[in-house]
Amino acid sequence: MVDRIERLTNLLALLLETPEPLSLVQIASELRGQYPENDRARRAAFERDKSGLRQIGVPIETEVIGGGPYAGQTRYRIDRAAYELDDLHLAPDEVRALQVAVATARTGAGREAIWKLGGELTAERPPVSAVIPDRPELPAIRSAVAGRAIIEFSYRGELRRLDPWGLLLRGGFWYVTGHDHGRGERRTFRVDRIDPDADGGDAVSVGAPAAFVRPASFDPRTAFPSDPKQIGHAATDSVEALVRIDAVRAPAIERELGTDRVRERRDDGSILVTVPAGNLPAFRSWILGLLDHAVVEEPPELRVHLVDWLRAIVGAGSVNGART
Amino acid sequence: MSGPRNAEDRLRRLLVMLPWLMEVGEVPLADVARRFELTEQQVQRDLELVAMCGLPPFVDEMVDVFIDEGMVFVGVPRLFTRPLRLTAPEAFSLLTSARIAMELPGADPDGPLGRGLAKITAVLAGAGVDPADGSPDHVADDHTAGVAVDLDRPLLTDEIVDAAGRGDELRIVYYSPSSNETTERSIVPRHVFADAGNWYVLADDDRSAERRTFRIDRVESVAPTGRTVALDPDVRAPDAFFVDADVPRVVLRLASAATWVLDQYPIDERRVLDNDWIEVRLPVVSERWLAKLLIRLGPDAELVDASTANPALPMAQAMLDRYGH
Repeated sequence: MVDRIERLTNLLALLLETPEPLSLVQIASELRGQYPENDRARRAAFERDKSGLRQIGVPIETEVIGGGPYAGQTRYRIDRAAYELDDLHLAPDEVRALQVAVATARTGAGREAIWKLGGELTAERPPVSAVIPDRPELPAIRSAVAGRAIIEFSYRGELRRLDPWGLLLRGGFWYVTGHDHGRGERRTFRVDRIDPDADGGDAVSVGAPAAFVRPASFDPRTAFPSDPKQIGHAATDSVEALVRIDAVRAPAIERELGTDRVRERRDDGSILVTVPAGNLPAFRSWILGLLDHAVVEEPPELRVHLVDWLRAIVGAGSVNGART
Repeated sequence: MSGPRNAEDRLRRLLVMLPWLMEVGEVPLADVARRFELTEQQVQRDLELVAMCGLPPFVDEMVDVFIDEGMVFVGVPRLFTRPLRLTAPEAFSLLTSARIAMELPGADPDGPLGRGLAKITAVLAGAGVDPADGSPDHVADDHTAGVAVDLDRPLLTDEIVDAAGRGDELRIVYYSPSSNETTERSIVPRHVFADAGNWYVLADDDRSAERRTFRIDRVESVAPTGRTVALDPDVRAPDAFFVDADVPRVVLRLASAATWVLDQYPIDERRVLDNDWIEVRLPVVSERWLAKLLIRLGPDAELVDASTANPALPMAQAMLDRYGH
């Protein structure tokens, strides 16, 4: 028996070179002595090789004979055009720049990509880097966006069917936006909230390519509200709050919101700012995060809401206290 | 460097090694091993193995490998002169890394990275779409190839990155939410990184005499001190924030609306309760931090067990005072 890597290489060479798709019987006869004689053992060994080649990205095509003496028989080949990497015409300095980019992200798949581009992993590290949140579903979703394939997944227990228009990393999370077939409108989903597959398989299933047309005007960078406090709400939803920020937090908040949001500056260093409050849970979370360094001045209903929220906390605490 | 390698991993590596060897013609064995992260023995063994592959009449040239006195000479048949296409994870990782690098301070869209990114984007944009049956609408048109990245950064980031590149010491005013204090300190920025939506600087800090991580949006001002120190070539972003085992823990119960806490903070233990609430045990950075978390969560969280009194109660009362209640 030959070393398995030798048989895999021979199988790869044979399927790349053959002008006609080959059946397993033909393959075994070409690779004489490399597959077991016994039918079942041979089929098992071949299936293992086929999935091994597919695992490293080799596109093995199969066709089933329709009629004649060999009806039902499966034949195999590899389309060289689908197998080979396109020539990217990358200049040496361009490969080097991509190397540095990938070295910063430190992913295993990125290293393989750099080798394929003819580069090598570099020890060079720029003084700045970013951590990419990693999710197993992302490569399949990206391929679906680029190939215009419909994806299906479960989100909070509900099956979704989506024309994926774009994938965006923002604020440390990946989002996919597209046309939701069930809802009949554009929806955005957080990729890390996609439900895992119950059987341990792929959480996102990808359909055939070229299945939809993306609106020409769509741009993932502008399709999302740039202020996270507005995610999930229409841009026309223009509720604004007037908030007083104490001196200790004023410089940071002014930088976060922009100077054009500052309405008034006081001598004690505090500032009065306008903040979008259309998305109430997001606004509440933001202002409560400032603890006793911020107070809503307007509108009154927001003040009432926050007072009720805080009273509930104090109230629940004293009830718990009474129990213990 | 490499554990036991299965046949698939060895073949995968060979398929990137062979086109490169063909390109360079002859090269020291040690260089091949270093470049492809293998030992010299592994390279030699795998190259000698593929030298025996190839079979007439389909393949009339064998893989032609010859190793002599530490040099590798390879004439590869046309079979393996081109690398395999990028797999979906490779394409994703390459595009995303490059797009993130383009968002970092100092990136130049007309520089080598920008040009390289444009070329890979063009190739990966319509992947899987057959141009013959796809209308132009089917091909990506936004020049992203499916991935967009938006790393919005605080204004002071660029200045701190420049200082890190030169080894300049900076005087900063820094707000620490856990102590609710503003401090002034001198730091030498070493590395700037973005993680989970925030920007951080890893810096040598004179106050603690340690290398510490600061969140840039909490830096209120920076000013160069005029002192410059040698760059540290070994510095890199921490792999993960870890929390000391000595930090006190609390047990919280969270309603489904509060499960973002699981994404945001390190959790020691979690279990799902009968009413679908989740009970978690998590480290507490400071009382003020815990108070903030509980106040933001409101009715969606319950403090089950803590070594100290619930710090959210006096804080909520202090906040109510500011509303005149």
